[in-house]
Amino acid sequence: MFDRDVWQEIFNTLKTNKLRTFLTGFSVGWAIFILVMLLASVNGMQNGFTGQFNDDATNSIFVRPGTTSKAYGGFEAGRRIQLKNDDLEYIKQSFPEDVEYISARYYANTTARYKSETGSYSVQGTHPDHQAIEKTLVVAGRYINEADIINKAKVAVIGRKVAEDLFKDEDPLGKFVEFNGLPFRVIGIFTDDGDDNAERRIYAPVSTYQRIYGNTNNINMIALTYNPTYDLATSLEFSSRLEDLMKRRHKIDPDDQSGLYIFNYAEAFDNINSFTSVLKAIGIGVGFLILIAGIVGIGNIMVFTIKERTKEIGVRKALGARPSQIVNLVLLESVFITSISGFVGLLFAWMILAAIGPTIQTPAFSDPSVSLSVVVTATIILIIAGVLAGLLPAMKAANVKPIVALSDK
Amino acid sequence: MIEIKDLHKSYKMGSNVLHVLKGINFKVEEGELVAIMGSSGSGKSTLLNILGMLDGADSGAYTLDGVPIKNLSETKAAQYRNKFLGFIFQSFNLINYKSALENVALPLYYQKVPRKERQEKAMKYLERVGLKPWADHLPSELSGGQKQRVAIARAMAAEPKVLLADEPTGALDSTTSYEVMDLIQKINDDGNTILVVTHEEDIAHMCKRIVHLKDGIIVEDKKIEQVRAEQYV
Repeated sequence: MFDRDVWQEIFNTLKTNKLRTFLTGFSVGWAIFILVMLLASVNGMQNGFTGQFNDDATNSIFVRPGTTSKAYGGFEAGRRIQLKNDDLEYIKQSFPEDVEYISARYYANTTARYKSETGSYSVQGTHPDHQAIEKTLVVAGRYINEADIINKAKVAVIGRKVAEDLFKDEDPLGKFVEFNGLPFRVIGIFTDDGDDNAERRIYAPVSTYQRIYGNTNNINMIALTYNPTYDLATSLEFSSRLEDLMKRRHKIDPDDQSGLYIFNYAEAFDNINSFTSVLKAIGIGVGFLILIAGIVGIGNIMVFTIKERTKEIGVRKALGARPSQIVNLVLLESVFITSISGFVGLLFAWMILAAIGPTIQTPAFSDPSVSLSVVVTATIILIIAGVLAGLLPAMKAANVKPIVALSDK
Repeated sequence: MIEIKDLHKSYKMGSNVLHVLKGINFKVEEGELVAIMGSSGSGKSTLLNILGMLDGADSGAYTLDGVPIKNLSETKAAQYRNKFLGFIFQSFNLINYKSALENVALPLYYQKVPRKERQEKAMKYLERVGLKPWADHLPSELSGGQKQRVAIARAMAAEPKVLLADEPTGALDSTTSYEVMDLIQKINDDGNTILVVTHEEDIAHMCKRIVHLKDGIIVEDKKIEQVRAEQYV
């Protein structure tokens, strides 16, 4: 295999047939290029999708009220459903085993002012558990706690962007900022992996906001996470139990699709996972089919080469070349062409991905890249492909009868 | 050195069977220079191919240097060819992308002789055929006579028991033919056994024995007075 003479011969044949070698190699290089690019693209899509969700706990469920579309329990269709604090307590007490964290959300907008700086932000009134559900990272100070809820304290946890906008270089912790004229004390600053917009948000105790807005018990949404040990089936079963219970409580027809929305992340995640794995399978499939075309191309060229070199092979056999030596020569040449051209394709794909991959950061597609395992697999595939492409022609070459090859009269 | 007994060979040509060799009995001693003559279709090339283990006989016995040649596997045949036989072809059959030296060294490569030794040996034989200065030339840069001399050097490089030459002068003009024959005679003078297939009378008379083939049988087998090719060169 590492015989200098064998390599010399291979280089010689390749050198004398430069164009042919290039064209053959191109087909395989191109196939590998496409395969890698396809896999990287699927990877990029997967990154994009998971990137959209990774700022929330993956075992979270969101309960949003809607408007009924069916008459039920003596009520007309078109009734607006309103969630209240009782609903939260009700869920908490009905599913003590299933619920891990639970929090209300109360949506409001505010004009915030600190000294001469003002800005308009969205405020979410939440419970302390919300930090775990939303995976909020508090980088300074603390999040809302139970005492804040009970005392209806005028405290706020502000996003990094809010802090930059209002406080510039000052440390916001402990400072008072006016929300619609009411002073709130900043107790924490958070960042969010999700996106910049999340960092333009302000969290405040839900009880505080309910009091400010006319002393209501209304809440806009309930966010919760279920027991993280649940698998998909259990989590789906739990969310359907939750839905049944909430629909009964609010007198919504069990078949009414718009009265109450229960959004289970696990379901969405599962959908995305199966979607991307199907895409990946398609990518690999298409890549392989193209690669097969490349292999057939190489095999074709090798058959042609053998045909052209029949006489030479005959001479070699007359001089004492064993069939195995002829097979070796052809196989090695084939593996050599496939590997080299495949590596060039791989290298090109890798360079393009390295150059433009990190700059692509759209919601649906981000950081397309290939892992080492893909590269290693591709290499193994290439060598196998080379052997496959060379095998038939090599057998053909080994079976060349010297007598037929040498008859020139 | 060579002994064949009642050798038969036929080829299938579609539905017809062409009986080419119809019982050849033939013996060659060591150091002989034998011309095998005959018109085309007489079976001389077939005989040479069987002698060269490039083709198998249908029936009959063939012994080469005391070794019975029968039912050889491809690998075994390759080994025997390499060890026992040197081939010289009408169309030279040099490998066109290899230099003269590399061509001569090729049989040694198949004998697994180390590279350095191979090159030295090949150079020695190139020198013997008078082509040392052309060692690095490709076949395309050599004349017909030179190519045949390289081919002779290649046939001899493996130090075979027998040299088989199939119309060695068939593609050469008469002057070059005599040069090549001169070389073959000199190699024979050193004690090598050589078989030459030819249909040219003058070439045949430069051997020491002429075997006439006609329609697949030996019609004449006589020792002759050798005509030295040297005088025509």
